[in-house]
This record gives sequence, C-alpha cells and structure tokens, in this order.
Amino acid sequence: MDMIANWLGNTPDFAVPFALAALGLILTERAGVLALGAEGQMLVGALAAIGAQLAYGSHGVSLLLAMGAAAVVSLLFALMVLVLRINQVIAGLALVFFCQGLTGLLGTLLDWTNKPVKGLAAVELWPLSELPLLGKLFVQNPLVFMTPLIVLAVVWFLTRTTTGLRLRAVGENPQAADAAGISVLGYRLVAILAGAALIGLAGGYISLLSTKLWIADMTGGRGWIAVALVIFARWSPWKALAGALLFGCIEALIPQLAAAGVRLPQYFVLMTPYAVTLAVMIWVASGKYSTGNQPGALGIPFIREERR
Amino acid sequence: MSNLNAIQLSGVSKSFDGFMALSQADFTARWGEVHALLGENGAGKSSLMNIAAGLYAPESGSLLINDNAVRLSGPRDASRYHIGMVHQHFKLVKPFTVAENIQLALPEGPGNHAFSGSHRQRLAALEQRISDKAAELGFSIDPRKITESLSVAEQQRVEILKVLLAGARILILDEPTAVLTDGEAERLLETVRAFARQGAAVILVTHKMSDVKRFADRVTVMRGGRTIQTLDPQTVSVPELVRLTVGESAPASEYQPAIPGEVRLQVRDLRSTGAGGQGVLNGVNLSLRAGEIYGIAGVGGNGQSELANVLMGLPEPCDGTLELTGFGDLRRASAEQRRELRIAAIPADRYGAALAGELSVAENFGVGQVHSGRYGSFFRLRRKRLEAEAAEAVAGFDVQGVRSLKQKAALLSGGNAQKLVIAREFSRDPQLVLVHSPSRGLDVRATAAVHARLRAAREAGAAVLVISEDLDEVLALADRIGVMSGGRIVAEFDRPADRQAIGSAMVSHDEPGHAEPVAEGASHE
Amino acid sequence: MNEQVRPVMLEQVSQAAKQPKPPLLSRRYALEIRQQLAWHWQAVIIGLALLLGLGISAAILVAAGVPAGELLNEFVVLTVFDAQSLKAVLFQASPMILVGLAGCMAFRAKFWNLGLEGQMIWGAIGATAISLFEVGPPALRLPLMLAAAISCGLAWALAPVVLKLRLKVNEIISTLMLNYLAINFLLHLLYGSWKDPRSSFPYSPQFQPFERLPELFDGISAAVPLAVVVALLALWFLGISRAGLYLRFVDANPRVAGAVGVPVQKMIIGTVLISGAMAGIAGFLVTAGQEGRLTQSFYQGYGFSGILIAFLARNNPVAALVVALLMAMLFVAGRSLQVFYQIPFSMVQLIQAILVICVASSDFFIRHRIRRVQGGES
Repeated sequence: MDMIANWLGNTPDFAVPFALAALGLILTERAGVLALGAEGQMLVGALAAIGAQLAYGSHGVSLLLAMGAAAVVSLLFALMVLVLRINQVIAGLALVFFCQGLTGLLGTLLDWTNKPVKGLAAVELWPLSELPLLGKLFVQNPLVFMTPLIVLAVVWFLTRTTTGLRLRAVGENPQAADAAGISVLGYRLVAILAGAALIGLAGGYISLLSTKLWIADMTGGRGWIAVALVIFARWSPWKALAGALLFGCIEALIPQLAAAGVRLPQYFVLMTPYAVTLAVMIWVASGKYSTGNQPGALGIPFIREERR
Repeated sequence: MSNLNAIQLSGVSKSFDGFMALSQADFTARWGEVHALLGENGAGKSSLMNIAAGLYAPESGSLLINDNAVRLSGPRDASRYHIGMVHQHFKLVKPFTVAENIQLALPEGPGNHAFSGSHRQRLAALEQRISDKAAELGFSIDPRKITESLSVAEQQRVEILKVLLAGARILILDEPTAVLTDGEAERLLETVRAFARQGAAVILVTHKMSDVKRFADRVTVMRGGRTIQTLDPQTVSVPELVRLTVGESAPASEYQPAIPGEVRLQVRDLRSTGAGGQGVLNGVNLSLRAGEIYGIAGVGGNGQSELANVLMGLPEPCDGTLELTGFGDLRRASAEQRRELRIAAIPADRYGAALAGELSVAENFGVGQVHSGRYGSFFRLRRKRLEAEAAEAVAGFDVQGVRSLKQKAALLSGGNAQKLVIAREFSRDPQLVLVHSPSRGLDVRATAAVHARLRAAREAGAAVLVISEDLDEVLALADRIGVMSGGRIVAEFDRPADRQAIGSAMVSHDEPGHAEPVAEGASHE
Repeated sequence: MNEQVRPVMLEQVSQAAKQPKPPLLSRRYALEIRQQLAWHWQAVIIGLALLLGLGISAAILVAAGVPAGELLNEFVVLTVFDAQSLKAVLFQASPMILVGLAGCMAFRAKFWNLGLEGQMIWGAIGATAISLFEVGPPALRLPLMLAAAISCGLAWALAPVVLKLRLKVNEIISTLMLNYLAINFLLHLLYGSWKDPRSSFPYSPQFQPFERLPELFDGISAAVPLAVVVALLALWFLGISRAGLYLRFVDANPRVAGAVGVPVQKMIIGTVLISGAMAGIAGFLVTAGQEGRLTQSFYQGYGFSGILIAFLARNNPVAALVVALLMAMLFVAGRSLQVFYQIPFSMVQLIQAILVICVASSDFFIRHRIRRVQGGES
C-alpha cells in the first residue's frame, strides 16, 4: 500500500508538464494554428529555466524566463506561419529541429549541462496531506497546485470572455471572424505567444523542478505526446488535464514497479508512454470516439482570399 | 422613398488574376428604397457588393456614402459607415450560439470592451436585445440556441440581426431567397421592405424576377460585369427583364437536325441531401440518346455540380442509379472501366478534377492510357511514343501555347487547357460524352472550337450531355434542353426552343412539368 | 415613412463619412498568388535563401568561437581537397544519400515519414541479427544482411502508412512514436542479450570481417557504389518506370489521379514501403560499413537530415545526391569543429534547421506577389 501511496504522490510530478503543454497547445490550436513545435519550445523553456536558475537562483524568475524564452522563439514560428504562410507542418518541424540544435549548442557552450540545481520545497496541504493513501498527493511543489488553477484560468478565458470568444471564432471560421472585423492574424499571434509561454513553463518544470538539471534533448518526446494528448482530449482543457493525469500515472508507475521489485524489461517499460500514445491515436481515429470539436480551420493559413 | 443617395458606386472595375469581374460598373441606391440588383451568375453583382461592404478593394472607381467620397479599408470600416451585408454563404461560426455570433460582430465601444463588465452579463443583455429586435421584425428566435442546429432560414435571420444590431442602415442582401422556401422568402422580403420604409436603404442582389417585381422599388440589371440599365420594375414586363438579364439571342449557327438513336444512359431518381438544403439533388431523371446533345440549363447552385460529379464518377454521395446500356449501373464502374467503356468526362473544374497543373502537357494527355500498356510496360514508360501521340493530339485538337510538350499544363490558357482535356478524353472515340461548363473562362474562338468538337462527337453517334450556366451555349448546342431548378429537371424543351420560356423556367419555382410561356405584361408569381 | 428617423440617420452616416482616414490605411496590400515562376527565377530565390542561411550559420559559428578566417578553410578546403577528408565525406555521404532518397520517396506520396531513424534502427537490427545468429554461409552473409535490413526497414514503415490510409491516423505522430519504440528496443538489445560480453559498453559483438562492407580501390568503401546503385534504382522508379508517372500524379493532385485511373492507394503504400526499405539500407550501411557493430547512437542526426535533403532537393533524386553530398560535408566539418573548437555536434542540427527555415521562407516569394491596391479612389 505504501507503493500505491508513493505512486499517487509521484503522479502529479509527471502529469504537470503534459498538462501545461497541452494547455498551451489548446490555446494555439483553438485559434486555428497547428502547433507542432511544442517539443522544441519545451526544450527552450527547459534550458532557459536551468540557465536562469544557475545565474539568478530564483525559481520564480527562472520559470518566468522559461516562459519568455519559449515565447520569443515562437515569434520565429509566428513569422513563418502568419506572415510567410509556410505550411504549418513544415514550420512546426523546422522549429523543433531549430530548438533542438539551439538548446544542444547553448547548453554545452554556456556550460549549463549536468549542473544540478535546487528544486522547490514541497508544500503540504494540511490537513489533506494526512489522508491515508491519498496523502502524498497533497504534498507537492507549488507549481503542481497552481496547475489546476491555470487550467481553470484558460477555461474561463475561452468560455467566459469576449476575447476568448473571438479567439475561438478565429479558429472555427476565420472568414466569419474577418467579416466581423476581428483581426485574424492578431489573435493568432497572441495565441501562439501565449501557448508557447505555457509550453515553455512545462519545459521549465521538467528541468527545474522535476529533474533539476539540464541534459540535451531531455524532454524525450513529451512535446509530441502532448500534441497527441490534445487530439485525444478533443481540444478541451479539462479533458487534457485528465489525459495528462493518465499519462502521469503511467510514467509514475515505472519507477514504482522497479522499486517494488517487479522485474520488467527496463526498456520495454520505458516504451510505455509512446506505445500508449500510439494506441490512443489509433483508438481516436477508429471513429468510435468522434473528433468533433476540432477547430474548423485548424492548419489552414488565412488570406482574405479574393476569389471569383 | 427619398431622392437622396445613400450609397453610390461609380466606374468600378475589378479583376481577379486577369479575369475582369467588373468593368466600369455603376450602382446607386437611395434612402428608403428597396433596390434590386439583378443578373445571372457571373454578372458581377456579388463582386460589386463585396466592394461596397469592404471585403474587396476596387481597382478603379469611387464609392460615395451620402455623397461623401469614402475609401473602405475592410469590413469593420464598412460597418462604421453603417453598411451591413448578409452574404450568400453565411459567415457564421457553427458551434457558437446565436448571441455569441452576434456578439462577434458588435463594434468595440463603451460597455462592450473586452474587459469591462462581465462577458456573461453582456451576453445576457445582448440576448435581450436580440429577442426585442427579432420581435420588432416579426419573428422569434432563441438567442441561446447553437447556430448549427438552426434551419437555414433561421440562420439567415441571425445574419440579418447581426448586421442590424451592428447598426446597419445600408443593408445588402446577397441572394437571400436562394435558400428559402416561398413562404419564408415572402416573409423575409416583407421584413426588409418594412425596414426600408423606415428610411434605410436596402439592396437586394438576386436573379429572381418575381422578387424583383413584387418587392423592389427600382432594379438595376447587370451583365458581364457591366451595368446595363436601371428601371422601375412596375413599368417593365418580366419578358423584358429576362431579355435584359440574359441578353439577346446569339445568332444561330448552322444546325443539322439530330438523328437520335438508342438510349445510352438512363439517369434514375438521383437524390442527395447537403447541409442546409443548397445544391441538393431532388430526384433527377433524364435519358441520354446516341447521336443527340442534351443540354441542361439553369441558374448555378441548383444541383448542377453535384449532378456532374455523380455522372463523372467523382466522389459524391447520393442515391439513385445510372443505367448504362449494356453494362449496368455506371456508378459501380472504376475509372479503368469507364475508360474501357469509352466514356469521356470533361469537368468544370479543370485543374481540380481533370488536369494536374504541375505535370507536363504530354503526361496529362497520356496518363489515362498508361495503365493499359499503350505506352510501355511497368518497367519502362515509352515516353517517345507518349510524346508523339501527345504531339499529334495537340496538333489535331489545335491546342495552342504549347512551346514544348514538357511544359507544365498549368501554363496553358483556359481554352487550350480545355482542348487538352478534350484531346485526352476523345482519344478513344467516346460513346458517351459528359461535359460541365465547357466554355467557362474561354474566349469566343476557343468556345467555338470546343463546340465544334462536341458536335462532331454527336455526328459520330455519341450521346452528349452538356451542363452549362450559359444559356447561349445550351441553346447553341442542344437538341433537347432540360431546365434544372431546385435539384431536378423541371421542364424539357425540344429544339427549336423558346428562349423566353426557358428563361422563365429557370427563374421560376413552378412544379415540374408546368413551365408555361409567359404572356406579355403579366406579372409572374 | 418615419420622417424623424431619417434626418437622424443621415446625420450619423454623414458624420462617419466626413471623418478623414489616416493615409496609412488608405492603401491596402493585396497578396496575390502567382501562377508560375520560371524555374531559373525559382533557383535564384532558393539560392539567395541558402546564402542567407549559410551567412546566419557562419555568424553563429563565429559567435561560438570559430575564427572567421578558419570557416572557409574548414568547410570547403579541408573537406574537399584533402584526400583523407574526401574519403570520409564519401563514406558519410552513402547513408546520407539513402535517407535523403527515403525522404524524397515518402514526400512524393505526400507522406511525412519522420520515422527514418526507427526504420534505420530496424534495418541495422535485422542485419545484426543475421550476423549474430550466423545465418547462411560466409559468402552470402553480407547480401543476407542487406536483405534483412531492407525487410525490417520496410516492415517498420508498414504500420504508419496503413494506419494513415485506413484510419487517417496522423503519420507524423505515429512515425515519431515508432521511433521512440525502436530506440528503446535497440537499447534493450544492446544492454541485454546482444551486448558484447567482452566489454562493458552497450554495443554488439564486432562483426566478422566478411560481414563488413569491404573497401574497394583506393580506400573507398563499397558503401559508396551501393548508395549510387540505390540512387540509380530510385531514378529508374521515379523517372523511367510507369510508377513514376503515377506517383507524380498522386503527388500533384490525388483527386485527379484517382479520376484518371491511377491506383492511388497502392502507389502510396508501395512508395512508403520503399522509403522504409531505403532507410533500412542506410542503417545497414552505417552498421556494417562504418561501425562494424550495432551501437546505441549510430542513427542520430539522420532522421532530420533525410527530411532536410528531400526538402532542399524538392524530392528530386539527382538533386538529392548532390544535397546529400553537401550534407555529408557538413557532418564531417561538424565533427572536426567538435574536435578542434569544442563546438558540440548540435551545431550541425542548428545549421540544418536554419537552412530549412530560409528555404521554406523563400517559397513565400516564389508563390506570392504583393500588389498595392487602391481603396476606391475616383
């Protein structure tokens, strides 16, 4: 039973990056921009967080810088996709490789690799932390507790503000939004930046609060899994949170099983997140699970097309 | 009705990639009137109004609002000048509620800024305004309903409410009754007429004579991108209006009477439903006979494209059968089989369904025959032979502008591209020829050449079907004419056909089989 | 008619009409799509883009500590004019050519094959299995390894393409996930049952001499002619065979292709499988050619390289040969930069990404024309 308690206690740590990244992707994709660059933006956030921490020692500042760095990098993506109208898939892939190369380079040149940093002290939510079995769930670092609030904020923004309404309109039917006088490109730009900030925060979480150091390519495909997660969650923030918890559970299970002495081939166990993602994609596509809710204009570049 | 001009467009020209959509067009609407803008598809009515609504920018000409010269930078700008347009294809966000859709269009202002006051509160206030306005106009609508769940007529009312609540005083409606039943159309037009009587200017873009006669105070006729005439609909007869809209009959070319043979293709009861009721097939029945050209006339948007897709074997879900004599249901045939059966298809969308623009002229010509081994085995494509035959075909079918057979097909002008498609399709001496809008975008010479080919096919004994929105073309080519309206053939005429009768059948909503020639001076309900 | 409403309304509209608009907004720029640009102009634009990309890369290299004067030396002189380096470049070029061709193939079927690394890995695993289990007589060993590499690479590409055609599963995610699965399986083998017992490093036992690609004349490995042969086969497939024409139709316009009788599904599946097979061969080349054993990171950098080569070469196999050669030069130069100037190898990846971005951006100027449009002036 101790194992279960530990397992539950560790789950949020794995779930948070998925949740934050998925939120960022949802913001961008709800505006109609296919955001495949998540893996790259995550890496940038991760590196920036470690670098800032090594330089300034303040977790708050580091995380903010992580968000900022990812947003700055996403300007390149915005340029490619909004101004130059490059195919969004190509632009996303190019961004990922750009960020992988950039972070690998800077991580080594600036000597930030493999330098451990101090994490954030866990916060106990008393009296919930005294619960049997579930207790450890309430002893987490502050960002974990903030994550549901962030989800709430994004949901509130999308469904209860006029700006959120306009953003969704831009993603569903940019021609209608344009005819209504809404700046399609303006909203998409802000969506890209905001989404990137959240994805950068996810990356910062992984490097600063979870692993507590930087190694090249440390996100290990989590950005791509987040992309699949958003499809699975039908672009709904709460469903994405649920999916993130699911993946967090799976990832948290791995060390627990090893510690419990269950002997599984190590690398097969490591395959689990990717295999589950693939299985989920197949299940979603097989139609038993409708992908209604896909933003109507996702992936299509917008020009006020003058047709005959 | 006043004598003050609300909006005036003068000398407006607009081209799209070389095609002149508008050529020195003029249009004026006064305060307090319902002004109809009448013309066939392609006449330029929508383009002109899109300019008035700020969606397109004209290349020349001027726009005056209340006699002040104005330049519109976009739809928001037009909205500032109290111009509102209800488009033919609604600009609604389907998953949103009615209130949310209207909220989008409301200009920023005190009480409507993104962060002042709660969104929910503003939506609630808006919902109230919507209900009030709707009641004022004489209908009811639930502002909380999801737009997708509304009927087409209701969605249109949302569009109207949207522009009215955004403060429109110059209201432009683009083909509003095209998607409505007669009863719904009646109510709509009465509503907008009442709005005009309150002092607003209402512009009604339409091709329906009955609407013009009953509701318009003035009508401006457009044709071929030009303004033809502005007149009072009460002083002109429907036949006269028809004449102005479709133009004089072109001089008939030499005609040999057809010797129709056996029935080659029997189209039985094609039915399909699209979203919202537009472009639906409502039980199309017709038969194509060998040695005869059957022309389908009608205003665009009445199911012609869908019918063409079904006939040509393009993906188009629908019920019904196509009985090909000696084969069975044509719908079950593969592309390979269609070629074996010598069926030629010339679709309207040349570069979307017939030619691959990025590939060479020779390749586009030969691809149909490649599988049969005519140009070599799997291992080696005999390009020389392909190119030789392509060259022959290019010469034989007078495809011009081909400097090299290797050049991209996309570089061919419209007429020559069409000739290339014909060259390919006719290379196996077809027994059934299906053509959709053959002379769209073609000049007079190319059109004549294409028509000559179609006649030649007829002479050779093929059954030919021509679907076209150009009434001149149908009249020139067809031995029998079917008029398509509302997704079915509503009338059939034999040659020589009465142009006026056909024109009336095209714009009427009569029951099938009841297209009557219209007497002089009678108003047409 | 409501006389009171009318003057008020007119007043409102007149007011709006009289306000002057700032001159900046009085012109609009219309983005027009070009029909066609002559190929030499396209080449000029792409060339300029490449130069820009190379310039940016050079600037970054200088900022990273490489003396500017040395750049030309490193990249051009040493890689081409030095015999030793030239051999290294050619050797490196062989798997590059193969992944580049693999990329070209898949893209021509409009299939984003990001699984090149996974397919390489399986190709290498297949070849290594033949060696470890000593399948076949020594004389046939090498061809059997090649055959195994082809089969395994091909098989690993089967699932994504079928999933895409049948269920519309996005192939970007599916191929990437399969990559990760392949990588982990490789590690499982290398740390597990296939580990070389004579060492603590995660690699397989060394191949026997007859299981390695021989060196032909003058120290040039057999990998080079093998790559050239595959390139010629690709050229045949795309340029001479009937399938090439079909594929061009599928690539240009699947709808028209279907309408004129091209077997679209078969073409797509076949082409993607060929792509996987080529990547498998690349895995074989690196393992049996360069390394001589199955190692844990031999595939790194090839996945993206393959895509980049295909992208820069516009899916043309001849151009892919040339670009692959240049990419090999980049790799070799990158390694020497690593040794002499301590610049990490991710620099190469960065340069590759910059080149892709520049060339992709140049496409904008090829496809569009910007026109100034007046807003209704009389």
